[in-house]
Amino acid sequence: MKKNNLIQKILCLSAVALAALQMPMQVSASQATSYTYAADEDSNWERTQDAYLPDKTITELGLSSPEDLYIDEDNMLYVADTGNKRIVKYDIESGQIAGILEGGDLANPRGVYVTVEGDIYVADTAAKAVLIYDKNFNQIGKLTRPDAPIFADTNYEPKRVAVDGGGNVYLIGEGVYNGVIQLAKTGEFLGYFAVNDADLTFSQRLQQLLFTRDQLAHLVDINPTVFTNVFVDREGIVYTATSGTHRNGMKKHSTNGGNMFKTNVWSFDDLTDVYVDSRGLIYTCSAAGYINVYSKNGEEIFEIGSYVTTVDIVGLFASLPSVAVDMNGNIWAVDGIKGYLQSFKPTEYAQTVYTAMDLYESGLYDEAMAKWNEVLRMNQMSVLAHNGVGKAYLHAEEYEESLEHFQVANNKDYYSQSFWEVRNKWIQKWMGPILGIVIGLLVVWKIIKVVDRKRGGHLEKARRQIKEKTGQLPIWKDILYALKTPRRPMDNYYEIRKYRQGSVVSAAVIYILFFIDFMAYKTVKGFIYQTTKVENMDIGSIVLGFFVLLGLFIICNYLVTSINDGDGTFKQIFMIPAYGMMPAMIALLVVTCVSYVLTYNEAFLLTLVLLIGIVWSVITIFIGLQTVHDYTFGETVKSIILTAVFMIIIAVIGVIISIMWNSLYTFLAAVGKELVQNVL
Amino acid sequence: MFYRKIKRNKVMAAALIMAVVLGSVSIHAQAYVPTNRDTKVAPEKAEHTEEEYADYELLLETGTVKYYWREDRDIFAVVDKQTGYCIKTGADLPFSGDVKDAVKDLEKAGASEQEILAAAESYADDLNTTYVGIANSLITVEYYDSDKVKYISSASEKDAESSLSKVADGKYCLEVRFKDPEVSMNVYITLGEESIDYFIPSAEMSGSDISKLAAVELTPFLGASGGRMNVMNPDTMEWEKVDNYRVPGYVLVPDGSGSLIRFVHNTAVYNPYEGDVYGRDYATETNYSFAYYDDVPVKDPVMPVFGIAHGNGQMAFAAWANEGAEYMDIIVNPDGTRSTTYTWAYPRFELNVNYFQIYDEQGSGFFNQMDDVFHYDIDMTYAFLFGDGSDGTPSADYVGMARVYREYLIDKGELTLMEPSQGDIPIRLDFVMGDAKSGIVGNTQVVTTRTEDVEEILNQVMARGITNINSGLIGWQKKGESLSKPYKLNFTGSIGSKSDFKNLIKDFAERGVDISLSRDTITVNKKMLNYSNTAVKCISNWYLSIDKAAILPENVPISLFSYATPEKVASWTKELADKAGDFSNSLTLTEMPHVLTSNWNRDGVVTSLTESIELYRNALEEIGQEQKLNLEKPNMYLWKYTDRYLQAPVGNSQFVFETDTVPFLEMVLHGTMEIYAPYANFSFYTQDCVLRMIDYNVSPSFILSREPSYKLGDTFLANYYSTEYTLYEDMIVDIYGQINSVLSQVQGFEWTNRYVPEDGVVINSYQKDGVSKQIIINYTEHEVTYQGTTVAPESAAVVGKE
Repeated sequence: MKKNNLIQKILCLSAVALAALQMPMQVSASQATSYTYAADEDSNWERTQDAYLPDKTITELGLSSPEDLYIDEDNMLYVADTGNKRIVKYDIESGQIAGILEGGDLANPRGVYVTVEGDIYVADTAAKAVLIYDKNFNQIGKLTRPDAPIFADTNYEPKRVAVDGGGNVYLIGEGVYNGVIQLAKTGEFLGYFAVNDADLTFSQRLQQLLFTRDQLAHLVDINPTVFTNVFVDREGIVYTATSGTHRNGMKKHSTNGGNMFKTNVWSFDDLTDVYVDSRGLIYTCSAAGYINVYSKNGEEIFEIGSYVTTVDIVGLFASLPSVAVDMNGNIWAVDGIKGYLQSFKPTEYAQTVYTAMDLYESGLYDEAMAKWNEVLRMNQMSVLAHNGVGKAYLHAEEYEESLEHFQVANNKDYYSQSFWEVRNKWIQKWMGPILGIVIGLLVVWKIIKVVDRKRGGHLEKARRQIKEKTGQLPIWKDILYALKTPRRPMDNYYEIRKYRQGSVVSAAVIYILFFIDFMAYKTVKGFIYQTTKVENMDIGSIVLGFFVLLGLFIICNYLVTSINDGDGTFKQIFMIPAYGMMPAMIALLVVTCVSYVLTYNEAFLLTLVLLIGIVWSVITIFIGLQTVHDYTFGETVKSIILTAVFMIIIAVIGVIISIMWNSLYTFLAAVGKELVQNVL
Repeated sequence: MFYRKIKRNKVMAAALIMAVVLGSVSIHAQAYVPTNRDTKVAPEKAEHTEEEYADYELLLETGTVKYYWREDRDIFAVVDKQTGYCIKTGADLPFSGDVKDAVKDLEKAGASEQEILAAAESYADDLNTTYVGIANSLITVEYYDSDKVKYISSASEKDAESSLSKVADGKYCLEVRFKDPEVSMNVYITLGEESIDYFIPSAEMSGSDISKLAAVELTPFLGASGGRMNVMNPDTMEWEKVDNYRVPGYVLVPDGSGSLIRFVHNTAVYNPYEGDVYGRDYATETNYSFAYYDDVPVKDPVMPVFGIAHGNGQMAFAAWANEGAEYMDIIVNPDGTRSTTYTWAYPRFELNVNYFQIYDEQGSGFFNQMDDVFHYDIDMTYAFLFGDGSDGTPSADYVGMARVYREYLIDKGELTLMEPSQGDIPIRLDFVMGDAKSGIVGNTQVVTTRTEDVEEILNQVMARGITNINSGLIGWQKKGESLSKPYKLNFTGSIGSKSDFKNLIKDFAERGVDISLSRDTITVNKKMLNYSNTAVKCISNWYLSIDKAAILPENVPISLFSYATPEKVASWTKELADKAGDFSNSLTLTEMPHVLTSNWNRDGVVTSLTESIELYRNALEEIGQEQKLNLEKPNMYLWKYTDRYLQAPVGNSQFVFETDTVPFLEMVLHGTMEIYAPYANFSFYTQDCVLRMIDYNVSPSFILSREPSYKLGDTFLANYYSTEYTLYEDMIVDIYGQINSVLSQVQGFEWTNRYVPEDGVVINSYQKDGVSKQIIINYTEHEVTYQGTTVAPESAAVVGKE
């Protein structure tokens, strides 16, 4: 029922979307040359509906090794045409060159930025300066090496440049690892704006921890990952691109230089540029040819592009040094080797996603939901859209409707919130009747008992007979015995040892039951607590791991205790864990069942139940080992440690044998093939 | 040889009407900026000067053409007798060394300036000696020198000899002898009325180094344009660099629907266009394993044809392979490639391959070539086209090229004209029924559409007035298409039982709706079956491996695939068709129609490409007698058996140097089979795309499901992002309505011309029984008025009602 309602709603909204479609639509072609990827519910990149399509390819500008792009408010595209020692101003609207800035101090222009006033800042490594021009290409300034003593030994070859509203200049310098150079309007050195931490590998961290100062001094210098670009948006927020890391390669800086993104932002490790459009969307590009789009909060939205070197196809790049975004939201990119400009037009899909995000940000939840539903029409697998619709429902207090969307988007936090509300409503609605029914049933039960007693207790007798009979059933008897073991472990294990209670068959049945219980716990918990989807699990390894570990423990314990005066026979050792497993088994079962009705708020309850079950089982098994082998506490601990060591040794031997067997097999197979091919 | 006579009168009438009406097209301001996905206005008229052909021998003169031959440079000159326009098979260049030596000798001898100028023939500035040989040559061969590929041509400065001898009237033989490598071959040349045919019999290729041959290239510089020369300035008596006249024109390549590469000067250096006809043979590539990445694969040519046009309806040729097409590559070197400013295009026939022979699990190995070359005859026809078509002959442009190739295929019986139909155009509605995803134990079935859903949806569509429907059912099997065996017909009750399918298909067949089971009978994986004797083995004797992990979700049951051997594909397809024949008189095949591989074992080739084609043709011939065949992007060798061409490309691969997109494929096939566009679900529903479907004369297609498509999220079909019928019911009616309202008016008509009067406006001409119609497609954002009919922005209209 729930789903039908939802489908109807989507339908209604889609009808609106379709009506919109019939209006004159934007012109776009159907041909993307690379797939668009978006983060899926498990944060993996997955293919999605095309977000951008290659649009214009401008090959006739004769660019040579261009390195940087900037687009101003008039849709003028500035290209740092490095190889030709010039800045090309290209009018996007008319498709014509609007001007060329060349000569003068321009020697190796590698970065370009244009202020709101129209001043053009050019970073030139050969001129070792930032050259400033007015909109008519008249040079109006030149920021040369700052004379601050602190800057004395630093290389000053400005490679990329950006300017904030106050006139402060941010520079990426060739060979400068200290950070983004910040200069005042006057050229005075204000310091390093942002610094990247060195991204140390595990072995480097270990070296730092263990090596002496001398040893460390002999190691190769660990440079921090390198800033490759800087951008300042019209609100004055500074963004940087860093290469050499997948973690936080793209940063949005607060005024003190810190990173404003709270969570890790994934990026390519060869980032070359970062750009922010008028609506706050952040774009990055990688040298290999990928373009990523992020929300203003750093959430990954789309990824396009591919790494291709042997064919020249629009939208794919031999080298991608820079991107920029025009006032219509089209992405412009330049091929650093082939020297042509390529624009990408957002599809209706991407535009709808962006509009929905904007609406949601502005608190217009109903409008956002309508847009998100449009997105769902175009891509029913869109995690962004399912999240968007879910959140909009949540805000509208339509909790049940939000659940399915959060489930598809695998958004457990929000699902938990919605579920709490749904459950609350349910409890409020049904608590009375349920309590009534339970009390009613208890009363009926009591009445039956009383009536039965008055009439001679036939029912009670029958119940006892059934209980007795079932108590005598061979396996059931042992299972009941196992159920009692945790409550009186010493007595029961003593009986196992002394009176040969329990049986191997029953123990095997318990293992199988425990395994089923364990698998149920692993695979079919409630949505909130089922962290890994069944489709993503390596079921084979889980099964193998479970039985191999158990078998190894039993065998190793037998081997260890045999030479350490343990009294337990192999059969008894086989039975010990089985008979002590009940608390863990019950805990797993309870957790699996209860996980369907609990939210994150009550997570501690599940942890507690599981902890009690496991600890209880461990203690029971420990007592079992102690009792069956007739060990002291110390001896038991020792035998367990030895068992663990044995297990590790056998595991290592197993791995070695398997590797050697593989090599032997490969060798024999090669010899065999050779024989077949050349001798026979 | 055969084109001037074809339907001259009818076409002349059509052309006349066209010429009159085109004059009355009025187009308003505000320019439409075309991209390389559009067709731009035809090139300008090419300039040409009369030549005397003093160094040439006149071999043959037909009613329209003179064929000249230059022995020292191995060049044919084909001259249009009417206009004098000439296209040469080679660039006709001297070796720079010869010219310089001659000039030096004269200077030493104190010759006069006039004498020196007479000897100072202009020589190529951007071609070295080897390339001058190639540029002139009729035959160039690529050969392996160790792992490297080198070139030698029949017109090389040294180590090559060639001589032309007459075999019969209009038939000649060029004997080519290379010294290093030591190889010889005979090229039999037939000069036709307006065509040249080259035939290189495999049996006559000989020599001790034959196994070194990598490929044969035919007339690499035929119709080439561009280049830069060293010209002696008569005033200064110094050599000066002068760019050759760049002929306005283009190369047509069958990339996707068809693509033009205009002769323009490029500032960037591009990689050549290498169109592997019928797709790459995965079994003979360098490595046995392949992986899909983030880029959309390029569209492989489905037909062995290309062409070059000079000027606006002046002279052109279309060239196609009669034999050897499966080993053919179409190569275009745009201006800037290989350090020259020439744009040149030619067919390359592969004879040997360099592959990596792996000998252990770690992937160690070495590069190797085959001990013997591929054995097949090469036969190419070059049909020359003249004029703008106003005289009823095929015009010297891509439209004429499509026409002559189409006529050739019809003559050969590879294409047959359909019975002219009237009424509504067809629509393709495919259904995605389900697939398998990983489960706790094994895999679980995902169901998105049941048989009763198909029935309900089709009924709803029909109730809205669309009746000319045909459907393919995808993922109808138990365990889905990805894990079930290709030849099995196992149903699952969760989708529909055997009788459910039977009833569904039968019921709708009675109502004129053709429903067929769809199957990929070539892609296999190890969860589907054992590779032994079923999967293709590559030349290195390893099973072919195709990794699709990058384009599939993380948790699909398997992401490594292979292709089945051609024998298995043929027998499975027949078996499937046989079983499905109980249900339906129609079958849909995906992948198999456009994938062609050979199969190998340690002793060498088991099934060659030529044999694979034979197997597939025989299989489909047999099936086609009983059932209609709906084939996805079939290669040319299967067109004979194709009733419906599915997923026809409506665009090209978008190489940077491609300047225009044209519906060449659609023009070749028009009227011989039903042609369907790619699914409109996925970014193919904008107004521009609707117009393109009208422009390209293709019918729309959709893929639908009852359930939301996110259910397919963990399956192989996850790339069908949006299929739920309820989201598309209105769009189907809308898009079909728009296309049908236009194209239904020319149902059964012959598509005679396609003309671009202005960027963003296309006029298609049709003709039937003396009735001419035009469809004007207006891609622009302004109105276009044509013969009193105003076409609204971004719409299409029919002109010339009966």
